[in-house]
Amino acid sequence: MTLGRDIPLRIRAIEALSPSLKRIAFVAADGNPLPGSRPGAHIALTVPGIDGAHRNSYSLVGAHQDRTTYEVIVRRVAQSRGGSAQVHEALRVGDVLSASPPTSQFNLQNKAKKHLLIGGGIGITPFLSFLPVLRERNLAVEMHHFVRPDEVTVFERLLLPHRMPTMRIHAGRAVGIEDILKGQPLGTHLYICGPVGLMQDVEAAAYRLGWPTSNIHQESFGASGGRPFIVELARSGRKLQVGENQSLLEALEAAGLPVRSMCRGGACGECLTQVLAGEPEHRDHFLTAAEKSNGDRIMPCVSRSISPLLTIDI
Amino acid sequence: MDQGIKSRPKYEKLRRDAAGRFHLLLADQAVIPPDTLDHDSPVGAFDECWTIERHSKAIPEADPNARTHGFRSQEHMLIALRHRLAREHMGLRLYAVGTEPFVWAVHGVGDEQGLGHSEMRLNATGSTARRVYCNHCRTISAGVTTSIFQCTGCNASLFVRDHFSRRLNAFAGIQIDAEVPGDVPPAEELYL
Repeated sequence: MTLGRDIPLRIRAIEALSPSLKRIAFVAADGNPLPGSRPGAHIALTVPGIDGAHRNSYSLVGAHQDRTTYEVIVRRVAQSRGGSAQVHEALRVGDVLSASPPTSQFNLQNKAKKHLLIGGGIGITPFLSFLPVLRERNLAVEMHHFVRPDEVTVFERLLLPHRMPTMRIHAGRAVGIEDILKGQPLGTHLYICGPVGLMQDVEAAAYRLGWPTSNIHQESFGASGGRPFIVELARSGRKLQVGENQSLLEALEAAGLPVRSMCRGGACGECLTQVLAGEPEHRDHFLTAAEKSNGDRIMPCVSRSISPLLTIDI
Repeated sequence: MDQGIKSRPKYEKLRRDAAGRFHLLLADQAVIPPDTLDHDSPVGAFDECWTIERHSKAIPEADPNARTHGFRSQEHMLIALRHRLAREHMGLRLYAVGTEPFVWAVHGVGDEQGLGHSEMRLNATGSTARRVYCNHCRTISAGVTTSIFQCTGCNASLFVRDHFSRRLNAFAGIQIDAEVPGDVPPAEELYL
């Protein structure tokens, strides 16, 4: 898959939705119409920081037909890898950032009889671009969104323009995932976006109830860091440290290695890399279970290493 | 004669998909030939089994827990299937064994009701008589055993391709003498 060239975006507005959530509206800095996007699309935004630039993916939350404005919502994470803290503290209206054109691996399924959306926290963002389309096309929708009890009102406000009777915001995880999935009609497609734990629970419950893989769609924003490890680049013999708040992909990029990447969330497969030694810790949705257990490939955008040393074919 | 068409569906003995939670097996005969099922998946491995009895006394069981139902005809069965799938839930797997037109008719109902490829398994056995779609007048003729074959709609002499349309549940038929009218080779019995 080829990606277009980066586009310059100027911040038009920054709106604080809650102490940890900010909505940022961008316009094209060069005055051209913005590239079109599909519902569920995201852009990879380069955010300059003190310790180098960070490149993070953010879903577009505005109307997908809008060619004048891109809107994203950014959660400031406590253990920020750099991107989100920078977005929250350093960015100002008028700043110009570089971003990839929108791409999407999280697509509405045209053949679905019903669309079941299950999200958690900031995982609401791709759904914000799904909902107007689903409503416009008058499709059967059910949505369950799990949030922290103190954030219920924040998310209620975000969902207010999209309210429908089959939409529920749950404070905490009191509702059983299986109860939601059980009894869904044939032809239901499931879309999951949220914290890794929630996504794994929903996926596991769906499989227990006999859902086929083809009806389960998920998008994660990449697990944040983990234990640091060392990556050895087999072709040059170089060794790089992957820090606890850094992804393997970011470590490779920081070292100036041209790894192709797109979604940065373990979904698209673009950054697939061969593993020669060591044991990968797979966190992606791209490799099949069999490929993961083989252990000879890794998606460096999200996955890490169980062994202290990982040797890859770069 | 191998026409070299790779998209032609391939079939294998039906095996129960362990990932599913309810398994519905449909057959176009009253008795399912055991060799059409994988040895791991005898009829008893399926939760429910529907058959076609081909007589006017056949009537599905009234008991909602019955594991077998007999139907008068394919149409009778497919109407019941459409109603049934409309109120079924995710986790169901649909299986069909019988002639190729039958299993793809079942597939068509499944598709219409939202089942995807991975939720249906088909095994075509028995007669290889074909449904043929006239690419010129769009008439579908059933029970075609020869190529060349005369379209029941427009009388064109059709060469029957191995090109199978899953959507139409028919093989493509193309006029053989379009270039040289009247130059029609003799028909061969190929699909019995």
